[in-house]
Amino acid sequence: MIKNIQFIFVFLIALAAFSCSDSQRKLPYLGNKQVGENGDTVFHTIRDFKFVNQDNDTITNEAYKDKIYISDFFFTSCPTICPVMKTQMLRVYEKFKDNPQVGILSHTIDPRHDSVQVLKAYRDRLGIKGNMWQFVTGEQDDIYEIAQKFYMVSAMEDSAAKEEGGFVHSGAFILTDKQRHVRGMYDGTKEEEVTKLIKDIQLLLSEQP
Amino acid sequence: MKKSLCVIFSGVLLASCGSSEEIKYEQYLVNGEQHYLKHCSNCHQADGSGLKDLYPPLAGSDFLNNKELVICLIRNGMSGEIKVNGKVYNQPMPGNKQLYELDIAELTTYIYTKWGNSKEITEVSSVKKTLGECKTKE
Repeated sequence: MIKNIQFIFVFLIALAAFSCSDSQRKLPYLGNKQVGENGDTVFHTIRDFKFVNQDNDTITNEAYKDKIYISDFFFTSCPTICPVMKTQMLRVYEKFKDNPQVGILSHTIDPRHDSVQVLKAYRDRLGIKGNMWQFVTGEQDDIYEIAQKFYMVSAMEDSAAKEEGGFVHSGAFILTDKQRHVRGMYDGTKEEEVTKLIKDIQLLLSEQP
Repeated sequence: MKKSLCVIFSGVLLASCGSSEEIKYEQYLVNGEQHYLKHCSNCHQADGSGLKDLYPPLAGSDFLNNKELVICLIRNGMSGEIKVNGKVYNQPMPGNKQLYELDIAELTTYIYTKWGNSKEITEVSSVKKTLGECKTKE
């Protein structure tokens, strides 16, 4: 009997250790799931998109083909959470800037003010080089729509939000896999959440080599 | 003998409590840090280092040499170019109209203690005087 209990005990510890180990953890698929024609699960997918980046080049979903990418929504004159978000996104950039399988896509939610030139100056002053981190602008409605319906975050103009600079938006970083499925959402204003994001990117890279 | 011990003991007690001026200074620093974390550190960072070429640092900043201007900036904000330690920055800073003169005094005391080599209180009366003389009033 005692031997039995000992065995169960060891088994439980082994099970706990196994289930905790990070390499076994798999990131969830976020958003609505649907059943496809042949009974497969169809996961929520970011729709095709077309924006203009800081160099006045067109950036579409093709630029993120075969890439894991992280998105956020901000505006350059934002006095509240955006600077913190950028401080944290810089950590992600520094970590993965030399990895061609990882990209960052920052959308402005204030296209009237954040022209191509403004985005370029902002990006330069942040010290961002190369193609890894793109800053894009476009039609305001188009950006709000993709934010709300596809990246599942809030982004809107609100003149009542004076202290926030006239816009209401989420501080989320959205992690998207190579098939444009959303695999994680993180509070981009919190250091520990972004540490988790960095770990999850590594996990996703090993899942989708 | 007993008497002198008693005197020494109460002396130690008094010293450890500090003067009311020191307590006030401590209080200004504690409150000033709260204001800093709430209104300033998003851009200028908790350690005052600024953010790349976007937001200028407070730590080691030559801009702190002009305390009157700093106090005015905290209240009124600014836009356009600004030179800090020889480097040009150009990102608007929002004003903080909602801050009371006491808040600004505490904040300024904190900033100058932390990064301005100061060990004294910026008094409410001097904040009040400075704010009355700010050039850029809205």
